[in-house]
Amino acid sequence: MDLLLQSLVNGLSIGSVYAIFALGYTLVFSILGIINFAHGAVFTLGAYFTYFLIGGQNNGTGLLAGAQLPFGLPFPVAIILGGALAGLVSVGLERVAFRPLRARGADPLLALVSSLGAGLVIVNLVQYLIGAEILSYPTNVYGHWAEQHPSLNLGTASFPIQIRTVQVIIFGVSLVILLALLYLINRTKMGKAMQAVAENPTTASLLGVSTDRVILFTFLLSGLLAGISGTLVATSFSISGPYFGLAYGLKGLAVIVLGGLGDIGGAVLGGFVLGLAEALVPGEYTAYKDAVAFLLLFLILMLRPQGLLGRRLIQKV
Amino acid sequence: MEAFFQTYGFLLVYMCLQALLGLSTYLPLMAGQLSLASSGFYAIGGYVAAILSTQVFHTSGAYPIGYLLLETLLAGLLSGVVAVVVGIPALRLRGIYLALATIAMVEILRVVSLNLSITGGAVGIFGIAQPFSSPLGYMWLVGPLLLLVMFFAYRLEGSRIGRAFIALREDELAADAMGINPTYHKVLAFALGAMLAGVVGAISAHFLNTWNARQGTFDVSIAVLAYVLIGGSRSFAGPVLGGMVLTALPEVLRPLKDLRFIVDGLLLMLAAIYLPQGLANPNWLARRKTAPVREKT
Repeated sequence: MDLLLQSLVNGLSIGSVYAIFALGYTLVFSILGIINFAHGAVFTLGAYFTYFLIGGQNNGTGLLAGAQLPFGLPFPVAIILGGALAGLVSVGLERVAFRPLRARGADPLLALVSSLGAGLVIVNLVQYLIGAEILSYPTNVYGHWAEQHPSLNLGTASFPIQIRTVQVIIFGVSLVILLALLYLINRTKMGKAMQAVAENPTTASLLGVSTDRVILFTFLLSGLLAGISGTLVATSFSISGPYFGLAYGLKGLAVIVLGGLGDIGGAVLGGFVLGLAEALVPGEYTAYKDAVAFLLLFLILMLRPQGLLGRRLIQKV
Repeated sequence: MEAFFQTYGFLLVYMCLQALLGLSTYLPLMAGQLSLASSGFYAIGGYVAAILSTQVFHTSGAYPIGYLLLETLLAGLLSGVVAVVVGIPALRLRGIYLALATIAMVEILRVVSLNLSITGGAVGIFGIAQPFSSPLGYMWLVGPLLLLVMFFAYRLEGSRIGRAFIALREDELAADAMGINPTYHKVLAFALGAMLAGVVGAISAHFLNTWNARQGTFDVSIAVLAYVLIGGSRSFAGPVLGGMVLTALPEVLRPLKDLRFIVDGLLLMLAAIYLPQGLANPNWLARRKTAPVREKT
């Protein structure tokens, strides 16, 4: 029983990271109707940015082997700055890989290919400059206290529920980000503008919404979310190399379809569902854990293609 | 000339194999079905050949061609059966949803093959018997196969079934109203592509001498899709050209050393933006008297 509860809490923790990562995907999809396949690469970049901003040394064998920034920022500042840098990269991607296609009204499939190409460039640039080695965050990123107490007991002495402290912190941070984001989307002018563009870009621009600015902001936000979630995952495990984000990129796809493509609440729900489903995989089948996301994706597409929260798809003649 | 084939024999055969894979993604796309499942069926085909040749048929010396042909036949059949089983429910989905369902299928197959003992787990199967003494020998098998499939695709484009595929691609509802059975034709296009990918996988397993879960990944699906979209998705010449050019590209870019994959990605991006019709534009190939293919709006 305690093991089950332990898995559930772990599932919530990883699920909250999936949720903020997938939100970045779904925001872009709701505005442009395309899937940004470079999102996983931005996730990877965010983890690298933060690693270097806190003063981490490159122990990879790339061109910048042994490089290190002359200063080290405190982690809370670094994760936000790292996320912001990832957001800027994402804006750059929009300019280079999406805008020319959008300007021409090209087939959305081509945006898929150009974003894949952009992701390939980022991943290989990282490999070239940094190297393919594993980079690990120092154990004290979340402060001295968290280092002293690597796991917490959320239950009682007789009924222990042991959780890694990192997971609890990640869960807290993700929840704060989720709430801030929901506020931004539902309560601010920019959020309303985003919803308007998602609903109908032409009408929105007639009503005085600057579509281009909304799109740029969406990419900035999406990159920021990817960068922060990349950093959070990296503090829990480590950066496994330039391909770190690939698996998360694919799982993120499963998450947004699970909830309903382009649906904000759906992405959050999907993230938690996937996190919990993965956590509940019995110990002897852990090797199959990576297939859970895709099994869920396949099932939902068969049974309810519009996703758990999505509106019914109406086919227009 | 001799030296050229000595050095580039492997690459030439590999280019043909990749061109065939491009065609296997092109066939469902002809019927408007964006499938990323080719790499999954490619993996299935490879495992069929790898398991049969290392565990079922015990031979010494050069591997008999007859066995190889039998393997490709079985690989194609098995891929086709899996395609029909997966395809009938999956092909109700359209556009990006179908692409996602096929990505899911490929990933599930990858994780399963990584964990089963019969597929060799993470290590895979190695030491697959060689029917030819040099890589170039495979050209006797792959070359005619490529020509045959190209001829088949060319004839298909003009046939009743091929025109039904194209009608479905242009407008499924209208095609349905005209009496074309969408499910039958979509599953047929999907299964044809799957069988071809399975056959290519079986040959590739021998050609590469080893087979593991890394052969059928999302990356491979994307590479194959790039062959079709960059080569041109409106005629069979597109995927063949795209497959050959993009396979040769890393070799051509070899002097750039570590930078070549970065350039590879850049080219993929630029081609998508500046060559939306692909390298092989059907308007150039259109025979006289037939109307040029209308650009899809």
